[in-house]
Amino acid sequence: MPNLWKAGDAYIWISGLALMVTLVMIGGLLFLIATKGLGSMWPADIGRYELRDGSAYLGQLRARESVRGGDGVSGSEFRVKLKIGNRDIYGLDFKWINEGDVKSRDYPRDAVVLERHEWGDYHGYLKEIRKNGQVIPGTDPEAFSVLLGLIRDANRIHERILKIEKGEIGDINYGIEKQRLKLKGLAVRGEHNPAKEAEYRLKIKEYEGRYKTSEAKLEALYAELNRNEAVMLSAGGNEKTIPLGKIVMAHRPNSMGFVEKAGFYVKRFWGFVSDDPREANTEGGIFPAIFGTVLMVLIMSIVVMPFGIVAALYLREYARQGVMVRIVRICVNNLAGVPSIVFGVFGVGFFLYGIGGIIDSVFFKEALPSPTFGTGGILWASLTLALLTVPVVIVATEEGLAAVPRNIREGSLALGATKFETTWKVVIPSALPAILTGLILAVARATGEVAPLMITGVVKLAPDLPIDGHFPFLHLERKFMHLGFHIYDLGFQSPNAEAAKPMVFMTAFLLILIVVVLNITAIVIRNRLRKKYATSAV
Amino acid sequence: MSSDQTDELGIEEGSKQKQIRRRKLYDRLARHVVFVGGAGIIFCIIAILFFIGIETIPLWKSPGKKLESVSEMEDRLASGAPSGQVRIFDIGVDEYREQFFTVDSLGSVRFFTLEEEPKLLKTHTVSHKTTGYASFYSARTNTSYAIADREGYVVPFEVSFRVEFREGTERTIVSRVTEGDALRVAEEPIEMFAYQSSPETGAPVVVAYTASKRLLAYAEVEEEGFLGESETEVFTTDLTGELGGAVVTGVQVDSEAENLYVSTANGKLYHWSLSDPSSPELKSMLAATADPGVAVTRIGFLLGHRSLIVGDAAGNVSVWFETTSGGEESRLAKIHVFPPLPAAVDRFSASQRGRGFLASDTSGNISLYQATSAAKQLDFPGRGKPYAGLSFSPKANGVVAVDSDMMLSSYYLDNPHPETNFRTLFGKIWYEGYDRPRYVWQSTGGTDEFEPKFSLTPLAYGTLKGAIYTMILSIPLAILAAICVSQFLHPSIRNVVKPVIEVMAALPSVVLGFLAGLWLAPLLEKIFVATLVMPFMVIGLTLFALFLWHRLPFSFSGRFRVGAELFTLVGVIGIAVVLSLWLNGPLESLIFAGDFRDWFFSMFDLRYDQRNMLVVGFAMGFTVIPIIFTISEDALSSVPRTLSAGSLALGANRWQTAMRIVLPAASAGIFSAVMIGFGRAVGETMIVLMATGNTPVMDWSFFNGFRALSANIAVELPEAPHGGTLYRVLFLTAILLFAVTFLLNTLAEVLSQRLRRKYAQSDA
Repeated sequence: MPNLWKAGDAYIWISGLALMVTLVMIGGLLFLIATKGLGSMWPADIGRYELRDGSAYLGQLRARESVRGGDGVSGSEFRVKLKIGNRDIYGLDFKWINEGDVKSRDYPRDAVVLERHEWGDYHGYLKEIRKNGQVIPGTDPEAFSVLLGLIRDANRIHERILKIEKGEIGDINYGIEKQRLKLKGLAVRGEHNPAKEAEYRLKIKEYEGRYKTSEAKLEALYAELNRNEAVMLSAGGNEKTIPLGKIVMAHRPNSMGFVEKAGFYVKRFWGFVSDDPREANTEGGIFPAIFGTVLMVLIMSIVVMPFGIVAALYLREYARQGVMVRIVRICVNNLAGVPSIVFGVFGVGFFLYGIGGIIDSVFFKEALPSPTFGTGGILWASLTLALLTVPVVIVATEEGLAAVPRNIREGSLALGATKFETTWKVVIPSALPAILTGLILAVARATGEVAPLMITGVVKLAPDLPIDGHFPFLHLERKFMHLGFHIYDLGFQSPNAEAAKPMVFMTAFLLILIVVVLNITAIVIRNRLRKKYATSAV
Repeated sequence: MSSDQTDELGIEEGSKQKQIRRRKLYDRLARHVVFVGGAGIIFCIIAILFFIGIETIPLWKSPGKKLESVSEMEDRLASGAPSGQVRIFDIGVDEYREQFFTVDSLGSVRFFTLEEEPKLLKTHTVSHKTTGYASFYSARTNTSYAIADREGYVVPFEVSFRVEFREGTERTIVSRVTEGDALRVAEEPIEMFAYQSSPETGAPVVVAYTASKRLLAYAEVEEEGFLGESETEVFTTDLTGELGGAVVTGVQVDSEAENLYVSTANGKLYHWSLSDPSSPELKSMLAATADPGVAVTRIGFLLGHRSLIVGDAAGNVSVWFETTSGGEESRLAKIHVFPPLPAAVDRFSASQRGRGFLASDTSGNISLYQATSAAKQLDFPGRGKPYAGLSFSPKANGVVAVDSDMMLSSYYLDNPHPETNFRTLFGKIWYEGYDRPRYVWQSTGGTDEFEPKFSLTPLAYGTLKGAIYTMILSIPLAILAAICVSQFLHPSIRNVVKPVIEVMAALPSVVLGFLAGLWLAPLLEKIFVATLVMPFMVIGLTLFALFLWHRLPFSFSGRFRVGAELFTLVGVIGIAVVLSLWLNGPLESLIFAGDFRDWFFSMFDLRYDQRNMLVVGFAMGFTVIPIIFTISEDALSSVPRTLSAGSLALGANRWQTAMRIVLPAASAGIFSAVMIGFGRAVGETMIVLMATGNTPVMDWSFFNGFRALSANIAVELPEAPHGGTLYRVLFLTAILLFAVTFLLNTLAEVLSQRLRRKYAQSDA
């Protein structure tokens, strides 16, 4: 052993240990997020736990740990955490049960999990289905497939209801609000124009009439939605009648094979990325958050690309290389290291209250004092992030421009091309991969950034997407949802943090996936570039 | 040149010329666009950051005053009565500084417009029939008053202003006086008194000092009779005996009607408790002036009625409040001492918007003081006459005073952020109700009377604590890993490892914060002991693995690339983790007697918070390690191979070469890596927001959380009203963060450039 110290091998291994610890940290984190996120959607088997005190629960095993004894020593006693669902009956979604208290445990094949619009999941058995006044007992072998068919019908009705509520009634509200603002605008400008006023009021009346018909349609649909019911029995024997309109999905995990489960998993995953959230974001999907993130990043890219490239062109191709340019370059480099929250603060002061306030006082006078642009919104968030990421693009583009060999430029100039033509047709095309790398890194950084968004326009639940069917279709002043903020909000401000955990892990997994894929793409492009120039330089 | 000339390609000379001209034009255009655009963008990016600075400038501005009007009021105030017979008791202003009113010894409340030539708007005379009034008391600043007559009656009344917006006109302010029932407090003229009504029952409490030098406490108590009807019982207590013959110079009862403060001509301050209105209890008697010969001339309340302002005949002004400092019992103590006025203190008027107050002296000087910072902010030189009325306007943006010559002066006051100066932002301040001066951050409170506490010290402390501990955890890992990768690994392995660590740098901090706060924090509490054991276990097992590796025949171990053997350490780490977890329970009962939290608390008085520094440090490591690693690795790899080859050739082993030759050569680069890593740790927001608990405590303990500057901005900025003090203070914290990180990064940049130049030269 001593010779190992002397030869320095022991130190080398310890330095290797540091590296391995770092690698294990990354790997462990990615593994943790992936298993916790992806695993939470898997339709786990549902066990029936009968306790010694006579009570019984249907639940999915979520955790198992040893119970601390009185002396602090972990004994042989274990306890399990079950997701028992039925929040409306038990008040809680989860329950810790000591294994010593469990009398028996089995996995009944007919145990049903209902995913509901309200109150979370329901665990129980199907007792009967009431369909158009006709009763189908749960013991009927076809009962469950009938139930699934009925739920599918109910979901279709649900979609129609949503369409009316969001589409028709949304249009009506939008129209009324517009006319109301026109009326207020007249008053604000001090214009006295009875003809116009009457016209606006008439339009409002018209909208209100349309609202009546939509409302009647809705009523009919709701009646149809709640006509059929399922009568369920919980593990403890409580009977509960659930209208089928309140059910999103039903499955019997214990009687599903692996393939079936996988199919169900895919369906669930699709629901997760394409649905709106429910129940204070703890259930349903995260579609608005994905949409908000993507749109924000898009707007940011549109802003950051031209500005970043022009600035880099100036620094590298046009400006005289001197002390001034070197100082500017250091400043730009350093901006990339300035905390993101500082950019957020700037966004609040300059964009929201500064420019937003001016826009409001000039163009949206009639809506005041409620601000239109003078508050957080997707435009301000995107611009703030553009400011945050523009150094990344500048630095990457500059690197790309610097790597273009001098002889290529000189060749182009010697053939009579102007400087602009050389830059545009020769230099930029060769630097394009580097510029792309810069953009990808900027997008990756923007996707993961949350702190500046929290103060410039992200909300936990936005009533409308920033793009819809009303002119001008893209509503830059609207607040929006964001994947990163979704994680923060669900994990730390949700009333039911425990129930929200699968959602948070899933969202975190999605976010990490996007960021890691973007980064790896950027790294691969960059490495290719390096190789290319390394060979061309030889 | 004729236009029909063509070249060999058949292109007309003229159009060729045109084309060249167009190309040249484009070139020039592009040059201008790039110049204007590029320089403009860079200028904007850098310049707009100064915008944050501009937003904070008002915090530092010293208050400004503007004399708006001086008017002779003699004829208007006397209102027909012979000159010198009407005495003005006090003066008040409305919120918009459009009207003011005076209360005089005829029992009249007169409302005037506040302008160069004030116009009488209306006169309200108190309906109580009397021969004249002797004294006046302002019970709650600017709304509730009482006036006492020569026969011993006290008449409470309220003055209120209502703003009305009428169609097509500007706002109009409508004043109103509401009278209460007259109370018979004494049988003789009342020279001085204090009036309050209990906030719960509305029952009045009056403490009066009469012409025959008696101090009487009058209280009405409503009691429920047998049949549920309410009866009013009146208690009058004579407190003269407890004064020991001293002459009373001031009487104040707080708005809760629970504390009575009396000042005397021999410099004493008495404090009675009125919790039982039927029998006041003397709680303390203190010498308020250094010399008993100096009389206390005036006492008054600050906003909230918990702090007492005391002025004496020598012009000294001080603020007192009850504190537990120096004992268990809370008692009245002199807390803030202000720069004195030139003559004896005569009047006070407290702000309704904060901790500021005005004090005037007998020769007509007025000073504006700020209680929190114990500073004098402004002087208003007088005309040599004492004031008959002094009023701080409700929005704390104006001063109206009328002197004994009936000269009215009105000032506009520009003082939007009175509570901030260098001392309140960074220093120790003795806040109302605290036991000693402290650094406190507490920006908002439950009531309007809340004293905002804007000390940035605990936040800066939290930021530094987080950053320093993170660096302690990360630097060894990152630099050792960088040495390993750059010196001991085969380049092909290095090309895989580097991008993996770069991906680590890109992990969104919100995910790290969420994992740290919701997954790691509860887990760490369970396996704390295992975590303590883990490093030793890992190192021990590593050495054991090394030993085993060298026992392997070279025919086997020689087949791997240089450094590949280190990957067996992943397994070693796994085994060490499992072993430590397995030992967690037994070790905890063995070393820490069953529960490490109790043990730490009883042994070192350390409290273990679930979201603590260890959790934060681990999570922040994910953001800091890759930065330090990448930059140090670049620096280490850029050291010319000739240096290390020479060292190895001279017989140094690989580790000696790495430590003594390569590391010193790359030290500037490594230092700059540490600087940049530190900058990142200082600015990190989401992790500290989610994993620290955000309590602004100042404590270097590893087991509790902190509140960092960055997280503080994220938490408070959405709630901060635009343009308010909190808003600007938060901008100031943003500047601090910006300045610190910008400096660190610049330093790092300069260092690494120097390093680059050094090797550029040595290569040449």
